[in-house]
Amino acid sequence: MSDHFVSRKPFDPQSIEAITPEQEKLFFASQWKLMWWRFKRHRLALACGVLLALMYGSILIAEFLAPYALPTRHTDYIYSPPQPVHLYHQGEFVGPFVYGWQYNLNMDKLLREYEEDRSQIYPLQFFCRGDSYSVWGLWESDLHLVCAPEGGTLFILGTDRLGRDMLSRIIYGARISLTIGLLGITVSFVLGIVIGGLAGYYGGWVDATVQRITEVIRSFPELPLWMALSAILPVTWSPIWVFFGITLILAMLDWTGLARAVRSKLLALREEDYCAAAQLMGARPARVIGHHLLPGLFSHLIASATLSIPAMILGETALSFLGLGLRPPITSWGVLLNEAQNINVVAVYPWLMLPVVPVIVVILAFNFFGDGLRDAADPYRS
Amino acid sequence: MARYILNRILLMIPTLIFISFVVFVIIQLPPGDYLESYISELQSHGESIDMAEIERLRAQYGLDQPFLLQYVTWASGMLVGDFGYSFEYGLPVTDVVGDRLFLTVIISIFTIIFTWMIAFPIGMYTATHQYSWGDYGLTLLGFLGLATPNFLLALVMLYFANVTFGTSIGGLMDAEYINQPWSWGKVVSVLEHLWIPVVVIGTSGTAAMIRRLRANLLDELDKPYVTTGRAKGVPPFKLLVKYPLRVSLNFFVADIGSMLPSIISGAEIVAVVLSLPTTGPILIAALQSQDMYLAGSFLMFLALLTVIGVLISDLALALLDPRIRLQGEGAR
Amino acid sequence: MTRLAAASRTLWLGRLTTLLAALFTLDARALSWQEHDYLQSRVASGELPPINQRLPDKPLQDPLHGKTLGQPGGTLNLLMGKAKDTRQLVVYGYARLVGFNEELLLQADLLADYQVEQGRIFTLTLRPGHRWSDGHPFTSEDFRYYWEDVLNNKALSPFGIPNQLLVDGQPPQFEVLGPYQVRYSWDRPNPDFLLALAGPRPLYIYAPAHYLKQFHQRYADPQRLVQLVEQAKTKRKEWTALHHRMFHPYRFDNPDLPTLQPWLPTTAPPSERFVFERNPFYHRVDPQGYQLPYIDRIIINIASSKLVAAKTGSGESDLQGRYLEMSNYTFLREGAQRNAIDVRLWRTSRGSRVAIYPNLNATDPVWGPLLRDVRFRRALSLAVNRHEINQVIYFGLALEGADTLLPESPLYKPEYRSAWARFDLKHANRLLDELGLTRKDSRGIRLLPDGRPMEIIIQSAGESTEETDVLALVHDSWLEAGVKLHVKPTEREVFRNRVFSGDALMSVWTGLPNAIASADMTPAQLAPTDQQQLQWPMWGNYYQTGAGEAPSLPAVQQLMTLNQRWRDATNMAERRDVWQQMLTISSDQVFVIGTVARVLQPIVVRKGLNNVPEEGLWNWEPNAYFGVYRPDRFWLDADLREAE
Repeated sequence: MSDHFVSRKPFDPQSIEAITPEQEKLFFASQWKLMWWRFKRHRLALACGVLLALMYGSILIAEFLAPYALPTRHTDYIYSPPQPVHLYHQGEFVGPFVYGWQYNLNMDKLLREYEEDRSQIYPLQFFCRGDSYSVWGLWESDLHLVCAPEGGTLFILGTDRLGRDMLSRIIYGARISLTIGLLGITVSFVLGIVIGGLAGYYGGWVDATVQRITEVIRSFPELPLWMALSAILPVTWSPIWVFFGITLILAMLDWTGLARAVRSKLLALREEDYCAAAQLMGARPARVIGHHLLPGLFSHLIASATLSIPAMILGETALSFLGLGLRPPITSWGVLLNEAQNINVVAVYPWLMLPVVPVIVVILAFNFFGDGLRDAADPYRS
Repeated sequence: MARYILNRILLMIPTLIFISFVVFVIIQLPPGDYLESYISELQSHGESIDMAEIERLRAQYGLDQPFLLQYVTWASGMLVGDFGYSFEYGLPVTDVVGDRLFLTVIISIFTIIFTWMIAFPIGMYTATHQYSWGDYGLTLLGFLGLATPNFLLALVMLYFANVTFGTSIGGLMDAEYINQPWSWGKVVSVLEHLWIPVVVIGTSGTAAMIRRLRANLLDELDKPYVTTGRAKGVPPFKLLVKYPLRVSLNFFVADIGSMLPSIISGAEIVAVVLSLPTTGPILIAALQSQDMYLAGSFLMFLALLTVIGVLISDLALALLDPRIRLQGEGAR
Repeated sequence: MTRLAAASRTLWLGRLTTLLAALFTLDARALSWQEHDYLQSRVASGELPPINQRLPDKPLQDPLHGKTLGQPGGTLNLLMGKAKDTRQLVVYGYARLVGFNEELLLQADLLADYQVEQGRIFTLTLRPGHRWSDGHPFTSEDFRYYWEDVLNNKALSPFGIPNQLLVDGQPPQFEVLGPYQVRYSWDRPNPDFLLALAGPRPLYIYAPAHYLKQFHQRYADPQRLVQLVEQAKTKRKEWTALHHRMFHPYRFDNPDLPTLQPWLPTTAPPSERFVFERNPFYHRVDPQGYQLPYIDRIIINIASSKLVAAKTGSGESDLQGRYLEMSNYTFLREGAQRNAIDVRLWRTSRGSRVAIYPNLNATDPVWGPLLRDVRFRRALSLAVNRHEINQVIYFGLALEGADTLLPESPLYKPEYRSAWARFDLKHANRLLDELGLTRKDSRGIRLLPDGRPMEIIIQSAGESTEETDVLALVHDSWLEAGVKLHVKPTEREVFRNRVFSGDALMSVWTGLPNAIASADMTPAQLAPTDQQQLQWPMWGNYYQTGAGEAPSLPAVQQLMTLNQRWRDATNMAERRDVWQQMLTISSDQVFVIGTVARVLQPIVVRKGLNNVPEEGLWNWEPNAYFGVYRPDRFWLDADLREAE
């Protein structure tokens, strides 16, 4: 019996299994770090993340990026098709330039036909002075990334029926379209977490009520709900308030999915020992949910939120189609697409459908980004 | 099991009553009523209005009655199969909906089949070849459908189908077959027109299905029994199809409930653009012109479909998957 | 000169004798009538009587002046946006008791003749032998039934007799003078009566009594009626609802309802395709002895209104104007290269395509008086660059000017159109300065007396992008006058209610409804007579119901008086004088700010469809769209007729 003794030396984990510095880095890394490492492996998702960051960055400096200001019209250049940008003139390198752009009116077909005037060369100007604008409402500026050369025009993506530059409109439209997704998801995120969290944590009648409400909302086709809700936005609201209203509507119908996810996860998590321990130690529900339970599913939530942003962006375009969403003079991608929504555009002015490209790009980017996030959200999986 | 079913069915009743009330509130929310939107429609075409007729209709349609009375009349009517009266058509709602429902179901079925035919192979491929170029490429393809606004895709396809194949624009059949009994020519004509809505509606649902199939398959493929199977030399394809695919199919069953309503309602805008003789355009027109009983009964019908669908898929799941059944019983 | 103005010429008794004489010559004439292939088999089987027994004793001989003689047969396909649009065939068909001809003169149509005495006694003579589409004679009983058993039946017409039949609130005295003659007489002139009968949506004063009596409590067998009511698909199970359901002559949705129109419906709604068939008892014939219409069948296909242009461009409509806009022209022309269609350009005839309505009843304490000040309205009108609008949106093809009559109207004077309508910012700014609106904010926008910037919100029903585009152009030129414009698109109902209540300062809509009016058409559109008039809804409502606010502006009161003078006038010269005065006041006061008018309207016509005018006017009133051009004269080339 006396052979047994208790060593008084402090326990050295290295004595059993030596860990290398790399292993140490891995084992002691925080959850977020692990996720980042894992996310980095997903190249496409990373690329999409960067792309999205750039696009959201662009909305801060839209005025600078757009060649023309939003209200600028060119009554001499109505329905101009995209104007080609050239590098070589008669085999000679000139740098980016455009030729003169002329139109003649085909009175027989009532069509404006454009052609290049090869005798005139207008090299593009960069970081140049153009239409003036106010930077974040703070100061005036007229600096643009690229603008039309003196006496020339620059309609890279063509113009619409009032001669407004499509590229500029798309860049300005991004502002509304991109933020609507973000704002909407924030609202539905909060709603989803709070309502789903309460249902999941308390269970019982709270849960039953929430379940019924979500069931009712989900069993509704969303279109009529959109229509009814947007019809009751007060008519006296200014366009920007209508914009918030629409965002809110999109969010109000979107939170149910999130709430369900939160609830079912919580139902499982609250049975875990650490949760019981916290409760026994007298933690209040808010603390238990907020401090112990939510972090366990937060990463999943972010991933699924990312994946529902595209639905919001598409929702905005659908509402605009029905004439219920945003309306001109507000410029969003949905508004632009709505204006492209007729047979004339498809057959005669196809470049007006170009706003569909950024919509597709953003939605794809969000999907891949979200996919990557979700894969990374579970860093302990193999 | 019987108790479980009974319980579920009883729970439906308050839900439906609640839904019916919400439906009625919602269709009444927009300002004005049917007659006002009727007047403005006439006006927008510059037509003259017979105010005496309007007053007569207002009284006849009971639009001057209080809200609750209108609701109770409508809701109690539905219990005995009277779904109200469509102002726009001047007919009972059931007469208006009629055979449109049939065409809607046909389109929905074709769309579901189309979606599955595309989603299954792609989903299986992308799950087994995770992060390969094929995975990215095919997923991209699937997402393209999701990301393109349906209504624009529909219009573009319509135009090019007309220019290249000479298919008549919009509708679900050539005009001469409308109101005619079914014949071989009519079936061919329907098939000629059917592909556009099926592709347009289908592409938007494909991406979601691919992604879920892929995720579920990936989960299953990680499980030990697959590893064991692989170690024992089961051929890869059999290994994929025999168990993991079957298990991951559960979610398809769980989805049946929401599938039909979501296809019907998701197809609404497309149906408007394509001018399909389905229920979607009627519903949208009814909502816009505040033809309230038509819109209301329609929404109730869709809600009922969902509620029943959820019930069926719950029951089917319980039957199919013993684990869920046990959990379900245990929870009570 | 119209028949209306040349009142009271012959005594009706004399007329009757000539009619009786005509009866005896019937056989000799009838020999020349030609039977239609389309109806041949039904005549052979005895289902239909032969042609000479189907036509009235004296059918209306359409001389087809300036038109080509046609051959009967064939089918015409049209596109409409809603099932309810079947009513358009009543508009296009345009069989009226009296109707306008192409020169917009009133003529007897269904009637053999009509007499007007002192503008207040109207004697209508029917065509003996004229039959409803089911073969039953059309007689004065049909007028009596409608007057006594429909209009004066409290249950059927709880809201009484329609406005057009009332003069100072008094109904006419109705008399049956014989089997083919009726008379309506009032104490004072009723200038609206014949116009209402000729309207695109006609005033009905007759009904197929033989058919409707089975639904009328007074005539029907009670047990049978109870049964019919029970089976009826009406909202309320009452005989009145049944009667209304069966008698919708304007909606044209009951295939069983006998009609007098050239084509009759054969499809009961709901449907996506409505087939209309020639009326075998129609009363018009061509010089060759063919009964009109030439076209055997008209098929209306229902398509979403947004698709109509696309479908028309791909050759799916044989005759289309509805739902087409000028912006579709280029596309339609491209379609014409691939399909056998011809795209023509007609003209619209509203006073202005897009018109801005300052709301004289605006309740805002500062804006209200300003809007009622003529200098302000003139300034705003002067600050509109109509030339630019014309060039940018209408290829310079529209007519610029104020919201007033068009040169097509016999009452037109160039000065109406040019009044306060040239683009003159200097003058506009001077007028605004005169009003004391001299203070400006940092953006250069004038300030109201209470310090608010002059930002006007224009309510729009958001109907068309055209409207938004025109306003975008107006926005820029107004800004140079120091006035900022905001467009507020709303739902149509909300739009109207906000204008009616005076909450809306300004609104945008189309201009004067009938800008090709002649002196015997009512000038009511220039005076506050209707709540729907967006420049003075409250005053219009006052005229209609006597409730609310009476017009306070002297100029508007003058318009009211003039309108009443027109109503009481019995001769043409006086009417013309009233019209000219009202037009002068309106253009001087700029109650409505016009932009451009006579905008082109594409009309698509199948190649091989004849007698559709190359140029025409496209409007509701008085042209009834295709109506006055008489679609019953349109005919198809042989290859198209045989394509059946």
